[in-house]
Amino acid sequence: MEPYIRSTDITLTFTPKNRDAVTALKDFRIELNSGEFVSIVGPSGCGKSTFLNVLLGLLKPDKGEMEIGGKKITGPGVERAMVFQEFGLLPWRTVLANVELGPELKGESVASRRPRAQELINLVGLTGFEGHFPHELSGGMKQRVGLARALATDPEVLLMDEPFAALDAQTRDLMQAELLQIWDKHKKTVLFVTHSIEEAAYLSDRVIVMTKRPGRTKRIIKINLPRPRGYEMRLSPEFNDIKLDIWNNLKDELNARE
Amino acid sequence: MGFKGLSESSVRFLLGAGAVAGFFLVWEFLLTYVFVFNPFFITKPSLMWGATGDLILSGELWKDIYVSGTPFVFGFAAAVVIGIPVGVVMGWRRRVAFTLDPFLTALYASPLVALAPLLIVMFGVGVKGKTILIFLLAVFPFIFNAFAGVRSVDNLLINVVRSLGGKERDLYFKVILPSTLPYLVAGARIAIGRGIVGIIVGEFYAASEGIGHALIWFGDMYQLAHMFVCILVLMIIAVIFTQGLRKAELAIAPWRTQETR
Ligand SMILES: Nc1ncnc2c1ncn2[C@@H]1O[C@H](COP(=O)(O)OP(=O)(O)O)[C@@H](O)[C@H]1O
Ligand SMILES: [Mg+2]
Repeated sequence: MEPYIRSTDITLTFTPKNRDAVTALKDFRIELNSGEFVSIVGPSGCGKSTFLNVLLGLLKPDKGEMEIGGKKITGPGVERAMVFQEFGLLPWRTVLANVELGPELKGESVASRRPRAQELINLVGLTGFEGHFPHELSGGMKQRVGLARALATDPEVLLMDEPFAALDAQTRDLMQAELLQIWDKHKKTVLFVTHSIEEAAYLSDRVIVMTKRPGRTKRIIKINLPRPRGYEMRLSPEFNDIKLDIWNNLKDELNARE
Repeated sequence: MGFKGLSESSVRFLLGAGAVAGFFLVWEFLLTYVFVFNPFFITKPSLMWGATGDLILSGELWKDIYVSGTPFVFGFAAAVVIGIPVGVVMGWRRRVAFTLDPFLTALYASPLVALAPLLIVMFGVGVKGKTILIFLLAVFPFIFNAFAGVRSVDNLLINVVRSLGGKERDLYFKVILPSTLPYLVAGARIAIGRGIVGIIVGEFYAASEGIGHALIWFGDMYQLAHMFVCILVLMIIAVIFTQGLRKAELAIAPWRTQETR
């Protein structure tokens, strides 16, 4: 089967003013199948966010190109949406208005976007909070809004940049389980960046381990655990073996960090 | 204490009103029983009360407020309408900022009131000349605060809107302008003060009516009670505008006022 998302070797160098150029990605290559859940782990600063921004269409690589469903990526598009680590909610908009942002920008009428936004708010468990402003919500609730907003444009691909990193451990476990349910129900392709080996192993079909900067693929680890995955699965020996495998690939990159 | 059962806003009002009343009472008391009262040097609230009656009954006060208020409103409105877009575009488009910066910095730094005589010569003592003067004084806080506000916009929010298909126009209206709002409110406060300076200075030269003119005229005549009433009226106008600003902020930016509460 043809992969749904594919890239040639991507290279991207930042050349900030008054500072040295940084090559964030060098010959990074990826292939994702439709409906797949893939995580990327790698040392911080290795270019994970940069890659997601290329895929999102906000950054143009110096070399290489990406294709999605056979079409070249030249900018943002409705088939992709991002969930950001720092949520990125508009503070002057209510929960409802934040969720409606994507459809609104596409010029959808209130009549068509509102019911869908409400449905997504219910889906992420925020019923009753439609009129709240972001500052009135906890971190977990904010990221639920972030997720609902990303789903509101009904994208094929969900890009998630350390979406649960700012949350406490319990909220995190809860959100992971809910994300799996939503993924299972809505059949999205997910590319999920995380620092947490446990999170990557629990959620993914495949885990891509990246090298330190400039980031390239070091190893791709397939997670052959049955789904649906419950919390108990995390306590199984197979799960621990997988975590160890990821860790063994990652650790050299970490202590080689500058 | 004795405020139990009262809402916070009534407590606030009572304390504020009490303080103002106390201020006038102490003023009156000091000049009646403590210091020797010299009417060519200072006045006291009882005399001001009488002067207020005079000014209201003769209809002078309303006319002066109208004559000064009209250019104030025009000048201020023009400052908003021109200052905000200029500042926002300067903040978002660096080239525009580089181009305009020398002029604006020079004008903001220099005492614009020095231009007053020139403006009066060019445009007369009527509404036109004063409007332009008030506009010039009030527009810079809007430009510079809008500029600073735009520079403070969170890049993440820009990325969010762009990633969801937002165009340049959406960035302006859905991200840049709302995040700049607190800066604009702060700018408006400064602009109110400068605009009131504009009223007085604009009527300093050759004017024959207006609250600024009245203020100066009563001063020349040593009618200090009347003069103080004029000062008070200017203060009250400033307060009304500042309060109106607060209300407006509450209406258009409920998320902020809830945040800071
Ligand atoms: N806009 C930018 N300008 C300059 N350097 C950047 C920029 N964005 C990221 N970088 C640099 O590129 C490298 C990769 O960053 P990033 O993709 O954010 O890493 P991470 O894997 O932690 O998400 C880092 O060294 C970072 O400092
Ligand atoms: Mg990152």
